[in-house]
Amino acid sequence: MSATAELPTKEAHVLKGHEGAVLAARFNGDGNYALTCGKDRTIRLWNPHRGILIKTYKSHGREVRDVHVTSDNAKFCSCGGDRQVYYWDVSTGRVIRKFRGHDGEVNAVKFNDSSSVVVSAGFDRSLRVWDCRSHSVEPVQIIDTFLDTVMSVVLTKTEIIGGSVDGTVRTFDMRIGREMSDNLGQPVSCISISNDGNCVLAGCLDSTLRLLDRTTGELLQVYRGHISKSFKTDCCLTNSDAHVIGGSEDGLVFFWDLVDAKVVSKFRAHDLVVTSVSYHPKEDCMLTSSVDGTIRVWKK
Amino acid sequence: MASDEEDFVFHGTPIEREEEIVSRKKKAVAGASGNLRTLPAWKQEVTDEEGRRRFHGAFTGGYSAGYYNTVGSKDGWAPQSFTSSRKNRAGARKQSISDFLDEDEKADMEGQSLSASSQFDTFGFTAAEYSRKQVEKEQHERPSAIPGPVPDELIAPVSESIGVKLLLKMGWRRGHSIKDVRASSDARREARKAFLAFSTDENTKETSDSMVSETEVETSLDPQFSEDIKISESIPVYVLNPKQDLHGLGYDPFKHAPEFREKKRSRLSANKEAGFRKPLSMKESLFGPKSGKTAPGFGIGALEELDVEDEDVYGGYDFDQTYVIEDEQPAKPSNDNRLRLTSKEHDVLPGFGAAKNSDYSMERFNPPTIPKDFVARHKFAGPLEAESKPTLSAPPDVPPPADNNLKLLIEGFATFVSRCGKLYEDLSREKNQSNQLFDFLRGGNGHEYYARRLWEEQQKRSDQSKLTLDVKPSSSVQKMTAEERGSLLGEKPLQRSLKETDTSASSGGSFQFPTNLSDTFTKSASTQEAADAVKPFKDDPAKQERFEQFLKEKYKGGLRSTDFNRVNSMSESARAQERLDFEAAAEAIEKGKAYKEVRRATERPLDFLAGGLQFTSGGTEQIKDTGVVDMKSSTTYPKREEFQWRPSPLLCKRFDLPDPFMGKLPPAPRARNKMDSLIFLPDTVKAASAHQVSESQEHKKETSIDEPEVEVEVENVERPVDLYKAIFSDDSEDDEDHVMNGKIQEGQEKKNEAAASTLNRLIAGDFLESLGKELGFEVPSDVPYQEGTKPMEEESKSRSKPEGSSDKRPDRAGFKQKVEEKTSSLTLGSEEEKSRKQKEKSPRKRSGGNDLSSSESSGDERSKKRSSKKDRYRNNDSESDSSSDYHSRDKQGSRSRRKRRESSREKRSSHKKHSKHHRSKKSSSSKLVYSSDEDRKESKREKRRRRD
Repeated sequence: MSATAELPTKEAHVLKGHEGAVLAARFNGDGNYALTCGKDRTIRLWNPHRGILIKTYKSHGREVRDVHVTSDNAKFCSCGGDRQVYYWDVSTGRVIRKFRGHDGEVNAVKFNDSSSVVVSAGFDRSLRVWDCRSHSVEPVQIIDTFLDTVMSVVLTKTEIIGGSVDGTVRTFDMRIGREMSDNLGQPVSCISISNDGNCVLAGCLDSTLRLLDRTTGELLQVYRGHISKSFKTDCCLTNSDAHVIGGSEDGLVFFWDLVDAKVVSKFRAHDLVVTSVSYHPKEDCMLTSSVDGTIRVWKK
Repeated sequence: MASDEEDFVFHGTPIEREEEIVSRKKKAVAGASGNLRTLPAWKQEVTDEEGRRRFHGAFTGGYSAGYYNTVGSKDGWAPQSFTSSRKNRAGARKQSISDFLDEDEKADMEGQSLSASSQFDTFGFTAAEYSRKQVEKEQHERPSAIPGPVPDELIAPVSESIGVKLLLKMGWRRGHSIKDVRASSDARREARKAFLAFSTDENTKETSDSMVSETEVETSLDPQFSEDIKISESIPVYVLNPKQDLHGLGYDPFKHAPEFREKKRSRLSANKEAGFRKPLSMKESLFGPKSGKTAPGFGIGALEELDVEDEDVYGGYDFDQTYVIEDEQPAKPSNDNRLRLTSKEHDVLPGFGAAKNSDYSMERFNPPTIPKDFVARHKFAGPLEAESKPTLSAPPDVPPPADNNLKLLIEGFATFVSRCGKLYEDLSREKNQSNQLFDFLRGGNGHEYYARRLWEEQQKRSDQSKLTLDVKPSSSVQKMTAEERGSLLGEKPLQRSLKETDTSASSGGSFQFPTNLSDTFTKSASTQEAADAVKPFKDDPAKQERFEQFLKEKYKGGLRSTDFNRVNSMSESARAQERLDFEAAAEAIEKGKAYKEVRRATERPLDFLAGGLQFTSGGTEQIKDTGVVDMKSSTTYPKREEFQWRPSPLLCKRFDLPDPFMGKLPPAPRARNKMDSLIFLPDTVKAASAHQVSESQEHKKETSIDEPEVEVEVENVERPVDLYKAIFSDDSEDDEDHVMNGKIQEGQEKKNEAAASTLNRLIAGDFLESLGKELGFEVPSDVPYQEGTKPMEEESKSRSKPEGSSDKRPDRAGFKQKVEEKTSSLTLGSEEEKSRKQKEKSPRKRSGGNDLSSSESSGDERSKKRSSKKDRYRNNDSESDSSSDYHSRDKQGSRSRRKRRESSREKRSSHKKHSKHHRSKKSSSSKLVYSSDEDRKESKREKRRRRD
């Protein structure tokens, strides 16, 4: 019981405003604000702790699938069905740059630590790295060793990690110039990295989350119980790496114990598919977004 | 002459001199026919329609204008009278373009505009236009009360159009609607509706039905009104809709969404009905058949077409609660409540409510009472004790049989039986019915000794299992067990767990930094893990430990001299026996199937014994074999593979990292397989490209293996020499080669010679070949060329089938021996390897030079067809996998590289259109997966070129 007590399972706010499915909800670097994006082609900036909508960013031509904020909160990037990656200024709401080049929808974007590049993962089986420093709109690098759609991307200080529908989690290490491909045998819809940086959590479309050791590539643990078969549902870890969180297609949110893979807690967060789960970088607070058009803020 | 003229008197008008007129006319005709154009510019004359000169010299009047180049009229020039604009400002003349035009120019302009003659002006548009122009003209003349252009409605066509005439002939009368009477009621109804909408405030409780009825009543009550309508049927009725909202004037919020208008109206009326809300069936009207697919509320742009990607994958959500929020109508809080309500009780059926109190009550049972003496821990009987209890009475101690082999066999067998249970004994007894060696099982020679050994082993084992049971309550790998903790604290380990972690850690480490030599022989961690999980010598900790050591040594490679120092007490034969045991067990473990494999492992040493004691050296051969086995067994997920990847320098810069490939040339093609790089990339190639490849895994591997010189040279013949490289190669690069690679000591001259000869042969051969292709002949090629192409074929095959590489090895070895005889003629390996790269850099050149027939200029279709055909060939070849059909294969040899690329490109281009290129796709599908980076680059380049 003590374990569940420290989990954010109480609804603090419901953020409404998106018309239609919300596809991603992300905290900013310090966790004070949240950016969400959805099918209505908008990106919205919220104060999730007070439940206030601050700003709406419109420019995308189709649904917005992912968004990520720089560590200094000055800029953010977004991507979506219009095959472009947008680089925004947070305060003015203007698009600084649009990166065109993906041949298909763009599924995920991430900044690196110094916010100098954006890495995007696309339906065209590639990861593309875009430069934010120069005025070039050409990709710095195209990684196209994936055999199928790249669904998710995570960056560390030295590596780019991508999860793909071809069942692989590929780590591209810039220090040694090496690509490590971990084949899981199941389409990977979402990856996230543990806070200690040693493990990768991969959400697979066989309704399983898999925890991989990053150095050896071995499978550490498997988490089951939720439904994830056809939609991109996010997964993440708590700040202490004690629990694994995963959204389910039936609107539930699951908490597993990291070590023994027991379902510690599950509750109904939404009516419909939980598209995104984001954990506060410091506190025990969680954002979930859903196809039902709402974002919910959970606290303990 | 002058005096003559004075003398004559002239009567009448003189006849104009003919020649003057004729010449003038001639000129005009010539000018019209364009003959004058041929004249030089200064001779050309501009004339008017009568052939008079338009322009004169400056002294002869200049521009031909006015009245005979003089003044405005015959009467001469008259100044315009001054009119002050002060009094009649409105009449202030505006200049128009017509003021500056001549008559002929005006005529030109008018001639350009086409208009329907009034007779065929069916709808009166032209007439209306004309009349409007008239009015405008009039307006110019006299200022009217209405400034600006007159509204269209006020202007009626002045002339009757042909349409009107026709209608009149058909019986239509003026002032009547053209529509039939029934249709005309629409306009009326419209008017009514608008009127009613206006008057909803007064009559609130109206349904649409009552509306209609009331209108009927109204019409009947007011005959004059209806008469009015009947008379002026063709005149639209304007009913003013009073403005009730706060929108801007003329703004219609529902302009493009009339569905909402209904909704709003009903909502307004509903509000008046005491806030009762009925579920609205707005969804059907708004989201019609089309929007079932798309996400509700978000159409796509007018210029975009509906794609697959616009389908609403999250479909099924009922958006009837999220309507467009109007400005003056903020969303009501009650709305939110409702949504939450539905979310809370979503499993309540429509029309049913949850019961407040149910009759059904859960029966509750008390938990079972636990007996006092119950200990919440299960005592496991040893896994073997369950099957075979150790015989209480010890069999008599019998001296071992004289035959040492038999003794060993019995001992080994007893150990296994004690470990695996009685069942194993029975099984092997059945199996070895006829085998003399196993007589001891059936009570023959050495049976007593066997019984004794068995008892001893079981005794030992039971002790051990008891011990482990006490120490180790559960075998959970993840949790820290007592002995792990003990070992961490420095206690002497009872189990082998510490060793276990040691080995796995060491192997993991070497895996991570594969640059060290042992990596070649290191297993992936998963198999190591498997080996740990299966503890084949659980019963004998000392032995297990030795086994651990053995595994460690084995995977690390190198000499194994020190490891048995500690067990010197063992006899030579015992050690040998154990070694065999270990090796068999290790092999079995690698195969991954736990219990079955243990059994096989126990059988294996027996087989060895049956054939006499053999000591395998445990050298590279053995380890390679296990490596192959490992590769097969590691198909279980997750599977880790490593490739070289080259981050771009800018990327490294942006990540603040040093570029690992700083100052190096573009990366070598990715080696798809360990075996690939191990066997088929020769030293020379490696050395030549040493400056390109970093201190990579493959490279280390290469250098670590001592391949014989001959084999290297075989590899040199792999691909046809690139002519351009051979001819235009840079000397400095060659020097580099000499430095880098000691194996190519042949001089530059020799290379050039060889290159030249190959050039001739290639051109001739290629030409013949292509010619033959065109004509449908089989053209045999020169033998050395043919031989040279084979290994490449082999390699491409092996790339395409990395898994099957082990199967094909004998074949390849045989082939190598064959080729060895031919090696002396062509030794241009490194050269060629480099040139291959250059070739890939300049695909245009290559295609032009090597392959005359299928250069880029020849149609795409043709080359495609051919490539697909070839692919089919190649597929057959690789399937048959025999060395007999080299003849047909070598034909494709020179192009197989390009083909592969082409086919992969085809695959990529047809990725989305699966229906196309079935054949080529099938053949190249496996290749695509393993196609190298360069292939992809190549294909992209090709694509780009095509686009250009």
